[in-house]
Amino acid sequence: MQINDELIKKISQILAEELGGEKSQSGSAVPSLSGRDRINEKKSDYSSYPKANKGTNPKEIVIGVGAAFQREIKRTICNIPLDDVLKNIKAGIEEEGMVARVVKILDTSDVCFMALEAAKLSGSGIGVGIQSKGTTVIHQRDLYPLSNLELFPQAPLMTLETYRAIGKNAAKYVKGEQVVPIPCTNDPMSRPKFQVKAALMHIAETEQLDPKLGIIEWEGK
Amino acid sequence: MERSKRIETLDKRAVNLDGFINEWPEMGFVAMSSPYDPKPSVKVVDGKIVELDGKQRNEFDFIDQFIADYAIDIKKTEASMAVSSLQIARMITDINVSRREVVELIAGITPAKMVEVMNYLNVVELMMGMQKIRARKMPGNQAHITNLKDDPVQIAADGAEGAYRGFAEEETTMGVARYAPLSAIALLIGSQVGRPGVLTQCSAEEATELELGIRGLTTYAETLSVYGTENVFVDGDDTPYSKAFLNSAYASRGLKVRFTSGAGSEVLMGSSEKKSMLYLECRCLYVTKGAGSQGIQNGSVSCIGIPGAVPAGIREVLAENLVAALLGLECASSNDQSFSNSDMRRTARTMLQFLPGTDFIFSGYAAEPNYDNMFAGSNFDAEDFDDYNVLQRDMQVDGGLRPVTEEEVIRVRNKAAKAVQAVFKNLGLSPITDEQVERVTYAHGSKDTPPRDVTADLMAAEDVLKRGITGVDIVRALAETGYEDIADNVLSMLKQRVVGDYMQTSAILDKDFNVLSGVNTPNDYMGPGTGYRVEGSRWEEIKNIPHIINPQDI
Repeated sequence: MQINDELIKKISQILAEELGGEKSQSGSAVPSLSGRDRINEKKSDYSSYPKANKGTNPKEIVIGVGAAFQREIKRTICNIPLDDVLKNIKAGIEEEGMVARVVKILDTSDVCFMALEAAKLSGSGIGVGIQSKGTTVIHQRDLYPLSNLELFPQAPLMTLETYRAIGKNAAKYVKGEQVVPIPCTNDPMSRPKFQVKAALMHIAETEQLDPKLGIIEWEGK
Repeated sequence: MERSKRIETLDKRAVNLDGFINEWPEMGFVAMSSPYDPKPSVKVVDGKIVELDGKQRNEFDFIDQFIADYAIDIKKTEASMAVSSLQIARMITDINVSRREVVELIAGITPAKMVEVMNYLNVVELMMGMQKIRARKMPGNQAHITNLKDDPVQIAADGAEGAYRGFAEEETTMGVARYAPLSAIALLIGSQVGRPGVLTQCSAEEATELELGIRGLTTYAETLSVYGTENVFVDGDDTPYSKAFLNSAYASRGLKVRFTSGAGSEVLMGSSEKKSMLYLECRCLYVTKGAGSQGIQNGSVSCIGIPGAVPAGIREVLAENLVAALLGLECASSNDQSFSNSDMRRTARTMLQFLPGTDFIFSGYAAEPNYDNMFAGSNFDAEDFDDYNVLQRDMQVDGGLRPVTEEEVIRVRNKAAKAVQAVFKNLGLSPITDEQVERVTYAHGSKDTPPRDVTADLMAAEDVLKRGITGVDIVRALAETGYEDIADNVLSMLKQRVVGDYMQTSAILDKDFNVLSGVNTPNDYMGPGTGYRVEGSRWEEIKNIPHIINPQDI
């Protein structure tokens, strides 16, 4: 399992220049990536990791993270470290007296399906899916895939407080409380600013998929 | 290096906040044509297409197979493919060649050939094509009606105002998906207050959206997404066949439906198979036609940041609108997503559909301030209404809207809010206070309105589904609470479902519930002096903007 840090650095530098508009000096030519088939040349090998099992603890909430989570991608689209994202969701769950388990989902990078798969593995039937760019869904095992309990589609607007609140709300669904959904946020200008970066991050996630392995235990086991 | 003040000033311009990227065909970041796009070809044996764009039948993926079996006119294909792409491109812009002649020829060409044809046309020629090939004679417009609080009272009021301003269709969606039944009911009522005959839909998860439609709480559907690569379809647990089935489910209940697709979705999903955005979108449009849908919402739609980031991306967006029209589909031509930080750039992008006219220039226009737009922002919003009306007047173009009076805006908003209040009470749903009706009536957006009791609303929403409330219950509630005129209008909308005429290509309804479609009012443009012209009472209406100088006041 080797990660080519230099390549990542180089690409993130290119991205930072392309996406950070105001930072890039006018006229500085960005090298073309034409001819390259991947963002990261290497694919991580998870074959030695234990396969994720279905939980039996009724207090358990499974968090399903994306294939590139904490490896090829270490920060969300708005630069929040993924370690902190996970820490806050788990803290939110624990504050409400529930138990978190983290798995890595290697058979899909679609956040709704990730969240549903997490919910299906979860002892309580409630799951959370997080893409490495930060997009998050709270799901319940008996809902339609593209339905959900709560969806946070605008990753650039997420904060650590939101992630903590997501953990708390997920736990409240388990407890059967009347849950007030986390208020929506909306920035109409996030698309022109972030959509290209979102596409590149999703490509970097999707190219790490390994459907044969399915879902693996990622943390704490 | 000492910085140039000129360049520093330019660097700070809004356009430089937009995301741009170099072409990268391997990842699909290429608009009009990729070196990996296939070369056009077709071969028919025993009435079956056995070769399509360089692939043999045994190499077909399910999209190729669906297109070969259902979307290409097999009897015409070899003859159509024999006509050069340049010749077809010229026929599209030639005012002496009729729409019908072009559409019949195009019915036999393959997706790769379509890409070749489009690459011969510059943006002005693409606009000429759209002016002639659009299905309905009169262009139209669609609104988004949403708000950050999912407040049904505001949905009703904005729906009423939008309908009064001229939108022929109105679409809502939610921040919290479970609000859907309340949003659908509020929009159904509000729209019929503003102008009888406006079609409404509620964009939700597919099964929910279908259920709302079947119950008569919506009058059309739009969010049936199709994709240009097999992987993205499979990721969404779908195939062209399942979409065709869903389309039939709506049709069986007499509901108008269109599909949705657009450049960039495959790139965003990381599965572009190295093909150009235009080629992949052509595949989507052929699937749409093959599935029997009357129309499509396309023009990149929510993925506009992707074509918008590459060279010729906005030319591609218009090209894909034109391809839809060439395949005989109704085209709701996007412009519905915030696209640029630059006012100049976002306006220029919209002119490509506004000037030639499309079946729906926007799909849709945010009829609320963009902070309330739950489709993550549209390209134009409520604060642009006057600019838009002036653009129509400046250029004598029908963009589907009209100037309004403040008195009438307040009147329809108030009536819609009160009607929803009465219906909610009659049906035992969550309470709506007089104060809320009042605040929403005069509001610009949800920043001006009181908060809703979200828990009570969500319980009411669930209740609507559990109790099996239908459009007929809404009609009865309106009639019982003294809103007979709105009850009549909603009932007339339900009757359309039985008649079914509004399922024809590109159908909208006028204020007397007459269908105007590509079938009974077809686009007959063949150069100057023909086709749709802005004249008569419609021109007078467009001219009559507020803030006109009265010479007698000087």
